[in-house]
This record gives sequence, structure tokens and C-alpha cells, in this order.
Amino acid sequence: MLSVKNIVKQYATHRALDDVSLEIEQGKIFGLLGPNGAGKTSLIRIITQITAPDSGEVIFNGQRLNSDHISQIGYLPEERGLYKKMEIGEQVMYLAKLKGLSTAEATKRIKYWFERLEMGSWWNKKVEDLSKGMQQKVQFVATVLHQPELIILDEPFSGFDPVNADIIKNEILELNKQGCTFIFSTHRMESVEELCDQIALIHKSKKILDGSVEDIRHQYRNNTFWLEYQGDYNTSQATELFHVLQTDEHKGLTRIKVQLQNGTTANQLLSALLPHVAIHRLDEVIPTMNDIFIEKVKQTN
Amino acid sequence: MNKILLIIQREYLSRVKKKSFIVMTLLTPIIIAGFYGIAIYFSVQGITGTVNKIAVVNENKTLTTQLPSTKNRTYVYVPQSLKEIKSSINKSGYDYILYLPDFSIDDPKGIQLLGSKQAGLALSSKISDDIEELIRNQKLKASGIAQKDLDKLKTSVEIDTKKIADTGKEEDSSAGASTIIAYVSGILMFMFIMLYGVQVMRGVIEEKTNRIIEVMISSVKPFQLMMGKIIGIALVGLTQFILWIVLTASISTVAMKAFVGDKEMKQSIQATEVQTKNMPGAKVAAAGNPAFSNIQKSLTNLPVTKIITVFVFFFIGGYLFYSALYAAIGSAVDNETETQQFMMPVMMPLLFGYILSLSVVTNDPYGPLAFWLSVIPFTSPIAMMVRLPYGVPDWQLALSMGLMIIGFIGTVWIASRIYRVGILMYGKKASFKEMIKWFAYKN
Repeated sequence: MLSVKNIVKQYATHRALDDVSLEIEQGKIFGLLGPNGAGKTSLIRIITQITAPDSGEVIFNGQRLNSDHISQIGYLPEERGLYKKMEIGEQVMYLAKLKGLSTAEATKRIKYWFERLEMGSWWNKKVEDLSKGMQQKVQFVATVLHQPELIILDEPFSGFDPVNADIIKNEILELNKQGCTFIFSTHRMESVEELCDQIALIHKSKKILDGSVEDIRHQYRNNTFWLEYQGDYNTSQATELFHVLQTDEHKGLTRIKVQLQNGTTANQLLSALLPHVAIHRLDEVIPTMNDIFIEKVKQTN
Repeated sequence: MNKILLIIQREYLSRVKKKSFIVMTLLTPIIIAGFYGIAIYFSVQGITGTVNKIAVVNENKTLTTQLPSTKNRTYVYVPQSLKEIKSSINKSGYDYILYLPDFSIDDPKGIQLLGSKQAGLALSSKISDDIEELIRNQKLKASGIAQKDLDKLKTSVEIDTKKIADTGKEEDSSAGASTIIAYVSGILMFMFIMLYGVQVMRGVIEEKTNRIIEVMISSVKPFQLMMGKIIGIALVGLTQFILWIVLTASISTVAMKAFVGDKEMKQSIQATEVQTKNMPGAKVAAAGNPAFSNIQKSLTNLPVTKIITVFVFFFIGGYLFYSALYAAIGSAVDNETETQQFMMPVMMPLLFGYILSLSVVTNDPYGPLAFWLSVIPFTSPIAMMVRLPYGVPDWQLALSMGLMIIGFIGTVWIASRIYRVGILMYGKKASFKEMIKWFAYKN
């Protein structure tokens, strides 16, 4: 639904985005990852039409991105806030009307969302009387209220307590089920694995990795396994098959992390050990997004 | 367009609903009306000060006549010596002692004014005038002028200033009335531009520090947000201005009636009417203060509609001109304390225009300085308002208004280019160099 094609964005002396292309599919949750200052926010600002690219283009549902699309995009920026002196209801209403909703429609939807997120009594409260977590709920509602097709969340969970973070996460999944596409910018990798279908990793203004989370993680497997067994086995006699990365012993159980030599399979590992020990568990170590992230960023440095 | 309206609505309502706005709007007319009422009360009642009772100790033998008492000064010649009366000043009921030593009439020296409190400058100069007149009269008499000729010499001069219109017709005007209007409108214009321009800046900073700016500009263009804010606050200013006029007028009417009473009001109005009817022609011995009623009359003769129209134009124009600059400043900083270095260059021309307008322009409303100040957009809102009551040629007014329009389109354009970049910059210390760079950014 969204294609970013060869975007270049140059600030005076600093190139924020260098020939970045992305493809975001309808109904997916897309993770936009990268260290601080990589260019994530610059890219998001181009998609939300806050700034324009120097070259390249963005295609939204087959059309070149234009101001008609503003009402179909919801954006929760990392730097987010509300008017302190305004009442909550009034404020969400204002933001909804700026997105093109009528007063009647906005009222209906605000009531629905306030009810749903247990904010019913907040309508007449002023923002300054709310805690930070409560404010973020309000901001989330304001982001999704106009039923955008594409919702862009920049670090949505920062500042949330675990309970509220969970509520918001479930709302994201629910909206996703209804067909919303998400772009999710973060450097908290555990939430990426939990939520994202696809990711792109941006580093130093360039895209250095993209694809589905599943594929990437499998691609980055390096034949490493956790093995748990009972009994004695001298691992040094099998160095042509694997080498040991880590060893733990606990109540007679031995847990080792091994990396197989090239060409060796897990079956060969098992057959080598089976005559000597009782195997309790064998797990392949699939690298976490965190590991991949760190590895990739280090590589390009 | 619809979005700008929504922004204007929010900016307007959120300010008008504030307690501080309501208090300011209600309190100011009461204060103005209060001052106005007191001033009228004193001018109608003729009370311009307290009556000073002055004991005169005269040791002078050349002065043959006594100082005549006036409304505010009662001279009582006492027989005691200076020493005696000095010691009993507190019990005697006199406010001051005037000591006239035995001086030669050609060289009056050693006159003293003594009192338990220091005599004010106005009083001592009045007494000095009285003595000078006394001596002058005595000298004139000595040269052989009779008392009745002397009385005839006393004339009170009141200049009737009139302006000749292009048609050759005389128009009543009064330098006094024009000056009053010039001052009031100059001060109001300065106050308004400052007050509301700074409000625009605060509003922009508030959006930045609240971090709502990025939420906003994902729905609206920075230009819409800036213009919505500027126009919304302008409407707040106009609302306050109109309420002030209406409230001040109605409160002062009520206050005047309460202070002065119906009868005297009518007298004063009748006096003015009589004077107006008999104009031009014979001198009118109007009741009350002729200068005061002259000003009143001229006030009604000034082109009030024109002045108000031009005021509203220059208020909006000058406000747009400056508030756009204030918006640019607000966008470049993170908090209000950082605004200082940028405020100075923006405020200087306005302050400069204000001071020069109230000093130079009121004295010489047709001079070259007055002309330039009133056509250059940086100073024209104030200078033109100050010049207007004295009469300004239409082509100059048109030129000034035209330049004002070009001026504010220019500043709005420049400011919007700085604003769109500045609002997204956090934690970066802005400088003028930086702002010029932002201005040059493509989009």
C-alpha cells in the first residue's frame, strides 16, 4: 500500500536519507528500526508530508502522496504532547476535526474510544491534571480516531507502564486485524519480534536490511543450538562436529551452547551424543532482532 | 481553508475563555473611566488643587500695594515679625510664610518661602509670578499709567487653530484635541502590537514545549497553523479593543452622571452648543473653561470614522507585520528565556517609532521625519496614527497603507519559511545565521 522509492533528503551539511526504498504491504505491521539519528524520523516526516524529499517519491495506494492522504494517515510522533490548558474532550475533538471529521461523527467515535479505554470520566479534565501515561492514552486515541488506513507510531510504548502498554498493544493488534497497516518505529527490539511482520533497518541514512522478521531471523541463524543432557561427555572429542560456546551445570544437568561446524546437521550432533548421555532438550538458537540489530550496526560501523 | 478556520476558532476561544482575559477586559475600562471621571470632575468643579494660606511678612517699604489673593492662594499680611510667626507656624493655621525683605524694587532679593512642609515647584513659581506682576504693575504706575489702563492691559489669549481644507473651507480643529488623539492612538497601537505580538510568540513556544507541534503539522501545514494563530490572536485583540471602547464609554457616562450630576452636565453641553452656534463670529464668553470646551468641540469635528477605520487597518497591518516576526522567533527557540537576543532587534524599530512619534511627530506632523516614519512599515502604524488627527494628505495615507500591505506580506512570507523549519528543531540553540539557513531550505 505504501512504496517509498529512492528517497533522498539532504539538510545543509547532513544527508538524512540516502536513496532509501521500502515496500509496505497492506495489513502488515512494519517495523522501522535504527539507532538514534539514523534517519527514521526524517523518513516518517516525509511519509506524513511534514517535509518533502529532495528526490524520490512516495506512492500511497497507487497514487503519488498528496494532501488528500493526510486524513488516511494517523501519526503518533515520538515528541508528542497536548495543549496543557485544554480539556481532553475538546482537544481530541479539535484534532479529529483537523483530520476532517464532522462534529457529530467525532463525538460518536471519541465516546466509543473513551469507553473502550476506560477514559469515560476524562472528558472535562484538563491535560495538566493527567499523568503521563493517561496523556499517552489520549494521544493514542487522537491518532486512531479518524480511522486511518495507515498508522505511524514512533516509540509508542515509551512512558507507558506495563499494564497500559499491554492495553495499547492489544488495541494495535485489534486494529491490525481490522485491516490497518502500521509503521512502527522503535529501538525496543522485543516489541518488534512480538508485533512486526516486516522490518527495515536504517543506519547512517541508508537502509541496510529489510524483509520479514521470520526470514531475517532464519537468515541469520548460524547453526547454534542449546543442548541439555544428563551424564558425562567429553565435548573435546567431537571438535570436528561442533565447538562449545558456553557450558552450565545445574543439579546433574548439563547445558551447553554449541555451534556446529559447516555442513554438520543437528541429527549428526544427536547421534554423536546419544550413546553417551540422556538428551533432555535440543533448541536451535535463532538470533533475536536485538542480536541482528547490534551485529548489523556494528558491521557497518 | 476549513482547517485555518478551526485553528482560528481554537486560538480565539482558548484565549477569550481565560480568566486573565476576562479580568483584564473588565478592569481596564473601569480604571480608564475612573481616571477620566476624576479628571472631568475636577475640571467641572474647578478644583485644581488645595488652597494655600500664606502669611506675608512684609518688611519692604517700596512695595505700595499688597499681593492679591487668588483661587488657590490666600495672602494674609500679618503684623508679626518673621521670628514671631516662625515660632508659631503650626498653631497659626498658615501653610506657608512669605518673607519680603526690604529690597530695592529694581533688584528684588532675599525673598523666602517658609513652611513646615516644602513648597512644591508649581506653588513657588506661581508665587514668584504674583510678585513679579505686583512689581511690574507698580513700575508701570510709576511711569504714569492709570489703574484703569492697567486693567485693560490684561487679556487672556486663546488661539483658535483652524485648518483650511482643499476646498478652501475652514475646518475647526484644535492642536490640543489632535495631540490628545495622537497620543492615545499612538500609545494604544504600540501597546496592542507589543501585547498581542508577544502572545503569538508565546503561543508558538507553548506548542513547541508541549510537543504538540508535530501532531499538529501532520494534519495541517505549518503556514496554516501560523496564520491561524496570528489571525485568532488578532481577533482576540480586536474583541478586547471593542469591549474596552464600549465599556469605557458606558462606564464613563454613568460615572460622569454620578460625579457631576445632571444639571452641570446639561450646562456644560449647553455652553458648548451655544459656542458652536455662534461660531464663527463674535467672541463667546462661555461658562466654564473655554479651552476645555474647545477641545471637546474639536473632538467632535475630527474625522472619527476615518480615524477608527485607519486605526483598525494599521492595527491589523502592524500587528500582522510584527506578529509574523514574533512567530518566527517563537519557532526558533525552546523556551521564553532564549527569546531575549531576538526580541531586541524586533522591538527596536517599534520602540524607536513610538518615541519619535510622540516627540518629533506631534511637534512637526508635516516634516520629512514624520513623513518617512509614517510610510515605512516598521514605524508607520504608530507614526501614521499620531499624524492622522493633524490631517494627512490622501496620497501619503494611501502610500503608507500600500507599503504596510506589502510589508506584512513580506514578513509573513519570511517568517513562515523560518517557522516551518524552526518548529521541528528541538534543543538546538538558534542563531540568526541558523535562521537564514532555515529560510533557504527548500521544503
